Amino acid sequence: MGTISLKNINKSFGSTEVLKQLSLDIQDGEFLTLVGPSGCGKSTLLKIIAGLEQQNSGDVIIDDKNVNSTRASKRDLAMVFQSYALYPHLTVRKNLETPLKLRDYSFVERLPLIGNFVPSRKEKKKSIDDLVFKTSETLKITELLDRKPGQLSGGQRQRAALGRAMVREPVAFLMDEPLSNLDAALRVHMRSELSELHNSLKTTFIYVTHDQAEALTMSTRMAVMIDGELLQLDTPSEVYNNPSSLRVAEFVGSPKINTFAAQISSDGSVEFMGIKLERKFNTNSQKALVAVRPEHLEITKDSNKPAFEATVSYRENLGSDIFYHVQVDQSDFKIIVRGSPQAGLISNGETVRISLSHAEAMLFETSGERIR
Amino acid sequence: MLARHYIGESWKHGLLIIGALIVLIPFYMMVSMSLKSQQEIQSISGGLVGAQEIQTFPVCTKHGYTEEVCTMRPYKYNFWFAFKKAPIPRYLMNGLIVTVSIFLIQVLIALPCSYALAKLRFKGREFVFSMVLFCLLIPVHAIALPLYVMLAKAGLVDTYAALIIPWTISVFGIFLMRQFFMTVPDELIDAARMDGMGEYSIVWKVMLPVAIPALLAFAIFSVVAHWNDYFWPRIVITGNRDLFTPPLGIREFRGGIDSDEFGPMMASIVTVTIPLIVAFIVAQKRFVEGITMTGMK
Amino acid sequence: MHHSKAHIWFVWPAIILMIVILILPIFLAGGISFTNYNLGNSSFEWVGTENYEKMFSRKTYIKMIISTATYVLIVVPVSVVLGLVAAIMLNSLRFGADIYKTIFFLPVMATLLAMAIAWEFTLHPTLGIINSFLANGCGGIREFILGFHWLPWVSSEDSWYSVACANNMDFPYWLKDKKTAIWTICFIGVWQAFGFNMVLYLAGLTSIPRELYHAAEMDGAQSTWEQFKLVTWPMLGPTTLFVVTITTIRSFQVFDTIEILTKGGPAKTTYVMMYAIFEKAIQQNITSIGAAITVVFIIFIILLTFFQRYVIEKRVHY
Repeated sequence: MGTISLKNINKSFGSTEVLKQLSLDIQDGEFLTLVGPSGCGKSTLLKIIAGLEQQNSGDVIIDDKNVNSTRASKRDLAMVFQSYALYPHLTVRKNLETPLKLRDYSFVERLPLIGNFVPSRKEKKKSIDDLVFKTSETLKITELLDRKPGQLSGGQRQRAALGRAMVREPVAFLMDEPLSNLDAALRVHMRSELSELHNSLKTTFIYVTHDQAEALTMSTRMAVMIDGELLQLDTPSEVYNNPSSLRVAEFVGSPKINTFAAQISSDGSVEFMGIKLERKFNTNSQKALVAVRPEHLEITKDSNKPAFEATVSYRENLGSDIFYHVQVDQSDFKIIVRGSPQAGLISNGETVRISLSHAEAMLFETSGERIR
Repeated sequence: MLARHYIGESWKHGLLIIGALIVLIPFYMMVSMSLKSQQEIQSISGGLVGAQEIQTFPVCTKHGYTEEVCTMRPYKYNFWFAFKKAPIPRYLMNGLIVTVSIFLIQVLIALPCSYALAKLRFKGREFVFSMVLFCLLIPVHAIALPLYVMLAKAGLVDTYAALIIPWTISVFGIFLMRQFFMTVPDELIDAARMDGMGEYSIVWKVMLPVAIPALLAFAIFSVVAHWNDYFWPRIVITGNRDLFTPPLGIREFRGGIDSDEFGPMMASIVTVTIPLIVAFIVAQKRFVEGITMTGMK
Repeated sequence: MHHSKAHIWFVWPAIILMIVILILPIFLAGGISFTNYNLGNSSFEWVGTENYEKMFSRKTYIKMIISTATYVLIVVPVSVVLGLVAAIMLNSLRFGADIYKTIFFLPVMATLLAMAIAWEFTLHPTLGIINSFLANGCGGIREFILGFHWLPWVSSEDSWYSVACANNMDFPYWLKDKKTAIWTICFIGVWQAFGFNMVLYLAGLTSIPRELYHAAEMDGAQSTWEQFKLVTWPMLGPTTLFVVTITTIRSFQVFDTIEILTKGGPAKTTYVMMYAIFEKAIQQNITSIGAAITVVFIIFIILLTFFQRYVIEKRVHY
């Protein structure tokens, strides 16, 4: 089992509130990502779950047991740290053995020299050796077992840190930006490995990251946190396609979503940049924001489609996609449009007509709430 | 939980306070003796400062001063008489001359050398560096005797030169600066060369300012070590009072413990010890940083 | 590359000084140690290993080696452990750490010679506050605590304190008694050295990443002792190595306190090497034997640092 519930967690450091009344239910076996910009409180939340940090109020419940007053070492969780936090003076093997020995050996068995003469230790040592070997095979680090962390590459250290967390078969894995110290290519590769690992272990993963791409690719559900609040908890596709607020819409997705000021008539029809949305919305506001992702805007040559004019100011060619930064109305207002390479390149300074796919346009109150 | 924290902390404070008191005992003794009268010292009475009763000091009158001159409060007498008996300003001045000269020469020699070792490529660089590493093993005090023989043969005993020469080369300084310069990006030096600077100007106009933090640490280390050094001056200054450094002065004040009065003696010791202690307390952070930085290689 | 000859002018002054001031004297000492040369004499004769034979057979020099070894073997471990304990305690305090740090560091900065004199008076049998503190405590709580009366097996007849109280305040003479002199000198050595070690340990402690403690906690290291064993102590390995080496080298060179306080006595119990060199070679002008002691001394120190640098260093660094 590995269900974790957080109920009304509050945490402040001095006068700064880091977490505000945060509640969250994590199901057994899910890969949950806590994602948000740096300083949103996600790492603090993870440490509160781990027991390394004490919340000011609220409850942490693991497998239906309130663990507020349980020490980190007794919560049966494992953690992978951003810096890996491997013991630099111990070999990988010893690093992997440490959590097992600390848990399984009695005080006497842990004593140097004397411990060797306690008969029960021999048996335990055997089972520890087996577990370490099994884990190292899974992670393909068996050849590295006798090296020290200093002799490993970043990716290998990452694996060793994962190994140390895995050997114990904990209730859940907590990971604090584990990929952020790797180079770009390795990071992408490790994403798929972590997903596979999760599939085979079927244990709960709680994964903290500021990188929305990691959250979108790996998680079964993602929790978007901004300024100490949980804004949305949903599957990655739902969060991307159907954000609950403008802040979520702006945080998730790269390049960033475009927003336009819009007027709403009394009949609920919405107009912006001279375009009238096909759908009507149910709201009393007169002003609102229309948000459209770059891939839902289109550079069109069809003069019949409702569109607005803009000037291309910068072309960002990524090979598979081209993003045009275009300037509207001679003002500083810039939006980003995705173009396809097949349509041919458009040079800087050209004037283009931009239309949108109406079904994908989202409407938000000026305060940020979604209007459906 | 909080209460437990405070209990946990108070036993630590208890132990630390006892430790601090033990550490401070000799300082207390020193200051207290420099303020009190001979009778109070001998009867171990009067606490830290004594009663400070105005009295006439017999040792003073024995030295030919009138009774009027010799009548004052003990603390004043102790310090006044200390200055009358020994050329304390001269000792302090000598200390300053010696420590500052040592430091300046050390920098003058070590800075270019460490720059060359860190940033210039030349034949034998590795050899020179291993020589530095070897010399790091040799404490100058340990070879004091042969050094003394050499200086004696050169007729330099009882000179400022004898106090300074053995310390002119600081392999430790070379090592420290070299490690520091290794962290300076090559671009900085290349840029200076592009600007038309020669190697000499690079050392003094580019590297010296860059090295200020390391130099400051080294300065504290060097000045403290040589201000307090007693062994070497004791060997090479045999009688010339004009060359006495503060520790030699201190030794002289002490004379025999049974002779004279203790008050003025302690007053002179306090006077000589105080400059460094005040400097330390004022710039405590820098001192500790300097010692740590030089300590951690 | 760059073809400047500047490096010659940069490096040669240092090389020459290194040779003349640091390396040449070693050979000079080596040379003199095989002669009967005395400073001031115009001639000398080679005497082979006579000086060394004297050193290892005469009682005085045996005592010299014993007192030096005692001093080093006491001061090094005690001041290192005290430095570590103080650093760990200060590191865990919420307030007041800076004040303690300043106080503990004072002896490192203060002129040792002056402090030796201050200690001389502090420990003086009739003028000192230590013995008056003890004498005033007879029959009171001080006698109970310092006389070990709180230990169940210590009775009034066994307690050194009570015995001294009973015998007309016959408290130790510290520096004047051959039973206590070397220990008192060691105590002053520890007093002077541990603040330095503490400061280095404090720097070492702050460089240990907090995440390692978190990892240890997650791995099940609950008690402070377990965490110390798993994280603090191994991570402080390089600091410990350095602290031990430098304290050892400094302890070997103890001189100031000896010259002021005991002059090697009583009964040569505090006759350490540096003082022996000073007394023989400078005061008695027996240069050759002084040179022999110097050579032994240098070999000690160089072996020690080599051992540190090339043997132990491999084990503590990662």
